[in-house]
Amino acid sequence: MAILYTIISVCYYLIIAFITFVIARNLVKTKNFQEAILFSVMLMPFILRILRIK
Amino acid sequence: MYFHAGLILAVIAVSFGIAKALKLSVELSMLVAAVAAAIVHSGGAIPVRHLVEGSFTYLDVCLIFITATFFMNLIKESGGVAFLVRSIVTAFHKSRALCLFFLTLLLLIPGALTGSGATTVLTVGTLVGTVLTYMGISEKRVAAIIFICAAMSAAAPPVNLWAMMAAAGSNMPYVGFFVPLLVLSLAGSLFAMFFLGGKGKKVELSEALKELPAPPEKMNWVRVGIPFVVLIFLIMAGRIWPHSIPTLGLPFMFVVASIFAIFLSPKKLEILKIATNTINTLIPLVGIMIVVGILIQIMALSGARGLISLAVVTLPMWVLFAALWLILPVSEGLLQYAVAPLLGVPLILLFNMKGMDAIIALSAMAVMWPMGDILPPTAVVGRATVMELKFKGRYYKDFLKTSLIPMGFILLIATLFLIFSNELSFLVGG
Amino acid sequence: MTDRNLMIVKIVSTVLVGIALIISGIEFYNHRNFQEPVVIGPGVTSVKTLGDYYTRLKGTINDTNIYIIDSGVPGGTALVIGRTHPEEPAATLAAKILVENASLSKGRLIVAITANQSASRVTRPGDAYPMYYTIETPWGESKYRMGDRWSSPMDSWPDPEVYVHYPSGQLLAYMDIRNFNRTWPGRENGMITEQTNYAFMNLIRAEGVDVFIDLHEAELEYPVISTIVAHQKAADIAGLASMILTSTEFRIGMEFSPPSLHGLSHREVGDYSDAISLLFETPEPFLDRVRGITDEALLLTGKDEFVMTAGKYGLLYEKIDEKGWPIDVRVGRHCSTTLMVLELWSDFNPGKEVVVGGVPRYDEVVSNGTGFYFQDPSKAETENIYYE
Ligand SMILES: [Zn+2]
Repeated sequence: MAILYTIISVCYYLIIAFITFVIARNLVKTKNFQEAILFSVMLMPFILRILRIK
Repeated sequence: MYFHAGLILAVIAVSFGIAKALKLSVELSMLVAAVAAAIVHSGGAIPVRHLVEGSFTYLDVCLIFITATFFMNLIKESGGVAFLVRSIVTAFHKSRALCLFFLTLLLLIPGALTGSGATTVLTVGTLVGTVLTYMGISEKRVAAIIFICAAMSAAAPPVNLWAMMAAAGSNMPYVGFFVPLLVLSLAGSLFAMFFLGGKGKKVELSEALKELPAPPEKMNWVRVGIPFVVLIFLIMAGRIWPHSIPTLGLPFMFVVASIFAIFLSPKKLEILKIATNTINTLIPLVGIMIVVGILIQIMALSGARGLISLAVVTLPMWVLFAALWLILPVSEGLLQYAVAPLLGVPLILLFNMKGMDAIIALSAMAVMWPMGDILPPTAVVGRATVMELKFKGRYYKDFLKTSLIPMGFILLIATLFLIFSNELSFLVGG
Repeated sequence: MTDRNLMIVKIVSTVLVGIALIISGIEFYNHRNFQEPVVIGPGVTSVKTLGDYYTRLKGTINDTNIYIIDSGVPGGTALVIGRTHPEEPAATLAAKILVENASLSKGRLIVAITANQSASRVTRPGDAYPMYYTIETPWGESKYRMGDRWSSPMDSWPDPEVYVHYPSGQLLAYMDIRNFNRTWPGRENGMITEQTNYAFMNLIRAEGVDVFIDLHEAELEYPVISTIVAHQKAADIAGLASMILTSTEFRIGMEFSPPSLHGLSHREVGDYSDAISLLFETPEPFLDRVRGITDEALLLTGKDEFVMTAGKYGLLYEKIDEKGWPIDVRVGRHCSTTLMVLELWSDFNPGKEVVVGGVPRYDEVVSNGTGFYFQDPSKAETENIYYE
């Protein structure tokens, strides 16, 4: 059971990491400056969660 | 305290207005408002920690609808949605009523799972729109039907973001909402469908089928059905054997169901591309949730949230009953999901205080809010609808005007649910 | 917009966000790792940790200190826990007063200052809590972490689709699987909060606890306030304590623990052990939704104009005026209520007495201040200092 919990927990970090990756890629690619600002702000919670700071 | 909180509210309103006037998006305008309010509150300093912490407020909710939308997009890309629409038309083209009924149900599924009306429009909206057109329904009526059903799908259980956010903010379990939300959203969507689409010509089966995209040959009920069965099984398992299986959480369940969808798809799916597209289309939604979190944190910090709450809870009840049907959609059009914690939480408090059934009352409100998604400045679902359907008519005079009567009906029954919340409390259950 | 300008916007916004992440990241990290010194009083005979009662918790974030104050004279055993909800500071401070001051002449007193460590190391997104609060003492300031109602998602992730309480099967909100006062009596293989309750149940049985007390605070909008919530086994003591306290020190109510409301300590500890279980609530205007500016001052003074207005409209379950609800009043209430319950327990249960000395009563805390009862860690012997 404990191992299963760990696996599921790791999955969640992977999901978050994937979303972070896609947002970051969008940030690089976008041609719209408003989107660029929004993307960089959107990264905040995802990055801090991956780093296990919050 | 009144002066300070009032000042902060004014700063928020003015900076939001200026930012909008400068053609900034709703998300960025809210961010500007939040930062301006934060700086004024802190006397020139920037409370960085509060700005960052606020962005976490709806992280869990974001995860749910990102994974749920990914799942729905897989079903769409594998040809599952086209298959379902064709099956409904083929099976029921002789009975207009049955056809409309099943198309309504199909429209409700994506939003019910994701909590987002835009997802409904993007995944099944166009295809159902095509069928409706072949049933002899005018363009503006089709657009109105798709919008209202999409809005009702967002309200439909199990995932109703407004109810979830408001319940979370008032320490109230998000439990017992299933039946009241289902009754309201079904009644609303069916009324719209039959009121606007009840009359028309018979479906020309061959013509309609020609227009609908053909699903891959090997697509069948098993392939499209199993991912949904897996999803429902996982949700039920978490409720039936909660203590013998590990805690999965909704996002993980959607990921597992997605894996089934990928393996059962008759054609090879470009997973990375679909995932990227999913997040791309969700940017406005995820973006706004994160910014709303920041704004709410700053309003809580500065007392502006308290002032709004206080204003709401000190209103007489009859004013609320008479005005909520207008206030809720308009505020939704202005602020999107931010209204659930801002107005929903103090209202629940007040309803509890007055001995009303808070679950019924919140359900009623959570069905009124999505009506505002057709209203400016945000008009998220309304805009998605006219874009996806390539609607050529006028937004206000054709599209919005046609939607008004069904909207009025939904707002009326929701108001009745509010007034008679105690009499309807028997609807509350698992 | 030209490509060059677009690039500049991207770089500037990324850098700004990066700086914000570094600044706030350091603050979050420091808050999660902040240690509060506790100088154990003359009565403390041993300090264990929760992991001693359930080995799986050993070394985890919730392996909290368990302070044991043993008179050496046979009698009963009481367990008092603070920081079940770390956003309720009077509970933390009252529990700390017990550890630093209590000495027993009969029986044993066991105290956990921080029942849910994980929740004490995170603040709630969207609610703008201050990260710390400080209490004035004769020797300077003493600083504490402000916490949240729920365990940190970093220690308990994900939440279920719906939280099914063990063992009753009652459905609760998904995030309440991280609410230490919804997860009693705990689950051996559950999420970390459930495991923490399980460990406490082991402690209660292993140490033969007779009286269990859970300290809380509540918003004035909440009907359960300024009261003792008692399991039916504790009804007579709670009723009498409420009567005596109301006529001698301050007004406090008494209510029965509803039999159908599961996961709460006043219900489950009484049901699943031999102990009687009680829960005390004091008013904390900081928690009210209609509150004004959210800051440390409101947390400690309990003064708020908006909450007062709500009171004028009859929307509150407790009185509030210009004096607010200062922290000393709230801590004092918890001290006196604890002492009163233990006195009555001792009167009713000869041979099982828990006789506590050295702990201030309500009027003493109010006139001297809470900080008066805390010892200076810089003057204490290192072996007497523990960290919460
Ligand atoms: Zn509490």
